[in-house]
Amino acid sequence: MIFTWYIYAGMAVAAVFLLFGLGRLDENAQGAWVFRPLLIPGVLLIWPLVIWRCVILWRGEEKLDRHRMPRRRQERVAVVFACAIPIIIFAAMFVRQDPAALPPPIQLEAAK
Amino acid sequence: MSVKYVPVQWNKNKWGYDAVLVALVVAYILIFIRLGTPAAELARPLDYAILRMRAFGTCAFWMLTIILCIGPLARLDKRFLPVLYNRRHFGVLTTVVAFTHAMYVLGWYFSFSPQSQWLALLSSATGFGQFLGFPIEILGVSALFILAVLSATSHDFWLSFLSAPVWKTLHLLIYAAYVLVVGHVALGYFQDGANLTFATLFALGALTVSGLHLAAWFKERKVDETIIDWVKACRPEDIPDKRAAIVTLSKDERVAIFRSGKSFSAVSNACAHQGGPLGEGKIVYGCVTCPWHGFSYKARNGRSPAPFTEMIPTYNMKLEEGVLYIDRKANQPGTDVEPIIYEVAEDG
Repeated sequence: MIFTWYIYAGMAVAAVFLLFGLGRLDENAQGAWVFRPLLIPGVLLIWPLVIWRCVILWRGEEKLDRHRMPRRRQERVAVVFACAIPIIIFAAMFVRQDPAALPPPIQLEAAK
Repeated sequence: MSVKYVPVQWNKNKWGYDAVLVALVVAYILIFIRLGTPAAELARPLDYAILRMRAFGTCAFWMLTIILCIGPLARLDKRFLPVLYNRRHFGVLTTVVAFTHAMYVLGWYFSFSPQSQWLALLSSATGFGQFLGFPIEILGVSALFILAVLSATSHDFWLSFLSAPVWKTLHLLIYAAYVLVVGHVALGYFQDGANLTFATLFALGALTVSGLHLAAWFKERKVDETIIDWVKACRPEDIPDKRAAIVTLSKDERVAIFRSGKSFSAVSNACAHQGGPLGEGKIVYGCVTCPWHGFSYKARNGRSPAPFTEMIPTYNMKLEEGVLYIDRKANQPGTDVEPIIYEVAEDG
């Protein structure tokens, strides 16, 4: 139910953003209409982020480092990620059941 | 390069790449089903629907595994750089394959549920307090949601609109998605004691992804971040003509010093398009050209040639005792900087 309403709100944001806001915020989008339907799924899913970015761009509060990739953050996330995988794998191996140790299947009722 | 956005910037290479990718996916699905059918036991028949959902599920896992191997491989060995090409289409196709897997699961297990199929899927298992038996459905659905967000925001527009730091942070969720997928498989299909081959391959694949990321981190972890204004870069002779030397200022910032004959200019190493490594490209028709998608910039001011509008930051440089130094403080994107002129004595 919550997700349904989230998507409805996203539809409203998508309509306003794609029809009226886009061309004003990004000059490369002015007069370009064919690509806009491709943006609809993205707006539906991350519309709060879309509104936040619109406000920043509208107020002219964009940071100068908008080109810079967060390499340091990526490095940290990647290390945590790389450590999490073996933990999950080995934990799953530890609890994995041996089929040979399980009792053989028995037929409860003869086929009619 | 973009003047106006278009749905997809197709070219001959991308058509070829996508055609091969789709062919490989189709081949994998067909082979999996072909091999899987006789493997089903008579005492425990494997329905065709289950076989199909496993085929698509394992295919999505392998695709995601390969995608996550590409980045660290390219950082460890430059020969893998061409594989980075068109990774975006690879990711979108992975989402499609994963979504097909989910549709088969819903169609097979929850077709006759009085609730909506998704709600039934998420509420059918409730063993949140246990490891073996944890509801793998919620892990899979969460991973699928993340993949959907990443695919839906993969168009060039989103990188420009959200800005590189926000877009990249959002797309770091790919790591969370993979951890969720590993959990989904490790507590699901991996526990099928009858299929040791898949269990072994799955563990090897996931551990390979983990190992490659640790190896890439280990290689790049030592960066001198001493706070000085001018960073010693290299000798002009060290840079081949029409090529660049990449200098690391900090873990977040790299600079590419390009040489064009006697002229030396420094620009950000990150392309304005998708953050591609400009320093691994070369100067083509007088412009620095990104090796990923061909975005071009003039080296002295970081501006794309008209009518294009992309800009990247430039850096001031100085030459002292035959060594180039870079001012740590970047100029605003598009700032014109007079190149350093130095006559390189060519060998032979």
